[in-house]
Amino acid sequence: MDWVESGKMAVKTLTANKMRSSLTMLGMIIGNASVIAMVGIGQGAQRLASEQFESLGPNVLFISPGSNQARQRATNLPRTLIWDDAKAIASQVPAVQEVAAQKQGQYPIVYGGLNSSSSITGTTPSFLSVRSFDVAKGRFLTDLDLQRNQRVVVLGADLANRFFSDQDPIGKRIRIRNVSFQVIGVMRPKGSFLGSNQDDAAYIPLTTMSSTLTGRTSPYGLDVTFISVSAKNEASVPAAEFQITNLLRRRHKIVSQDDFTVQAQKDILQIVGTITGGLTAMLAAIAGVSLLVGGIGIMNIMLVSVTERTQEIGLRKAIGASGQDILVQFMIEAVLLSAAGGLIGTGVGVGGTLLVATFSPLKAAISPAAIALAVSVSGTIGLVFGVIPARQAAKLDPIVALRSA
Amino acid sequence: MPQSTIVRLEGITKVYGMGDTTVHALAGIDLMIEQGEYCAIMGASGSGKSTMMNVIGCLDRPTDGQYYLDGQDVAQLSDRDLAHIRNQKLGFVFQQFHLLPQLSALENVMLPMVYASVPTAERKERAAEALIRVGLGQRLQNRPNQLSGGQQQRVAIARAIVNRPVLLLADEPTGALDSTTTREILAIFGELNESGMTVVMVTHESEVARCTNRVIWFKDGQVMQSYLAPEDLGTVTAA
Repeated sequence: MDWVESGKMAVKTLTANKMRSSLTMLGMIIGNASVIAMVGIGQGAQRLASEQFESLGPNVLFISPGSNQARQRATNLPRTLIWDDAKAIASQVPAVQEVAAQKQGQYPIVYGGLNSSSSITGTTPSFLSVRSFDVAKGRFLTDLDLQRNQRVVVLGADLANRFFSDQDPIGKRIRIRNVSFQVIGVMRPKGSFLGSNQDDAAYIPLTTMSSTLTGRTSPYGLDVTFISVSAKNEASVPAAEFQITNLLRRRHKIVSQDDFTVQAQKDILQIVGTITGGLTAMLAAIAGVSLLVGGIGIMNIMLVSVTERTQEIGLRKAIGASGQDILVQFMIEAVLLSAAGGLIGTGVGVGGTLLVATFSPLKAAISPAAIALAVSVSGTIGLVFGVIPARQAAKLDPIVALRSA
Repeated sequence: MPQSTIVRLEGITKVYGMGDTTVHALAGIDLMIEQGEYCAIMGASGSGKSTMMNVIGCLDRPTDGQYYLDGQDVAQLSDRDLAHIRNQKLGFVFQQFHLLPQLSALENVMLPMVYASVPTAERKERAAEALIRVGLGQRLQNRPNQLSGGQQQRVAIARAIVNRPVLLLADEPTGALDSTTTREILAIFGELNESGMTVVMVTHESEVARCTNRVIWFKDGQVMQSYLAPEDLGTVTAA
């Protein structure tokens, strides 16, 4: 019995029982669709995160307080990273172009009857160029603002919109934590970064932040949340990283473990990649389990089918089918079921991925590797889970099989 | 046409079970069936006639003894070789027809040729021929559930003869049919036999056996009467 004939026969048998065949395939369809969609979405998340960090610019470095271990343990971070460190880096590290210190907080902002709890960043004028931000209207903070502890604020685009929908915000006074600030500028919209809206923010002089909002929080000086540094160019990033580390170790009199962390964009990308890669693998593994369950469903139905078709098997053997012919017939049915389910599932998965890509910020991507994997796995599952029922069919004694009612 | 022996059984035994519970279903059978014969195998249930049928039909191997089918020793062939023998040399007709419900009459008849690797075009031609021969030329595309019991059995007969077997085996072929249909089916067996086909039929109805030329009577796993004329059936059943 040749393959074409066996294939035709299998199609005939499967289509004779459409309801059962399609329900059996459903397991494979769901399994395959979820593998493809999950991997697609996971990779989309990975790409989104990577793109956001890439948008920081390849020559940007971040210095944050606390060692990596301390940050991972989320223990109390030391308040040893201060503005003077930022100044020292700017003046003493040759590979560095500009340095911006940032002190972050979340405070209530009130204007007229409106209020909002937004992210307040105390920073320095170089923030704009280091972080590639831009002012849409008015001006940004100046060195003079910092020297004089001016109570001035530059609003993020969304915040400006919410408070001053149709009026010019420049010159208006808003209250941050009950302290009056004059609006001097509005930022150009920047979009969200890792899920937090960068336009729902306000920027004030670092010195004002410390003196009027947070108060003195560290015995070492004006401590900062982190320092953003731009290296002269991409090639000088490693040098900058090395020089900054050395300088800070000297300044902080470090003898054993660093109390700060220097990370280049590349380092962060790597971490993000590891996290989202792991997430994708986990999603795929969960989806893979449903593929397995689909396979077991096929085995189950094939076993039922063998029992139901005992007489058919007996007859086929009586008219000359060998055990191997029967084995092949049932294997083909199982593989057809799983492969067809796999193909349909692939279609559903691709469709779902495209939907997600269209209607969400996740740039879900169709991964050819995931498709190849899912289809080949589902075919293999048909083979593996088809073997037991097919062997059972092949072993049937024709006499017993024919006599069974 | 020179006569040749289709079935030659020598000292065939079939033992089921082991130890204390052994059952001798066949206890040393010697039997010859010549080409062109039309035999009925009869006997009470448990007499061994079904086991005999399975052995002759190469569905089962004897525990001991020699079986030559069409001159070939087939007593201890492998399952695979037996399947080939069944496909090439034997045709089966069963009480329950055993047609595949998802296939048309034509496709059912083509099935043995599928396993014989006959080219597709030839399959159709030969299957249609066989169906015409049993009087079903108009019903080639019907599914079994669109056919009456008698018509289904005709399809089964067509399927049994389509590979031109040397021996046609029928196991209670009329057991599920009414008397009119039984006569029609037996007429087909008669015609096939007249055209030279060797036919062996297991039955428990003496009316059916009377249509044959020879009755082989089984009792307790042994052949009681090997060349009983159908006319003399009454004497045995009375005994």
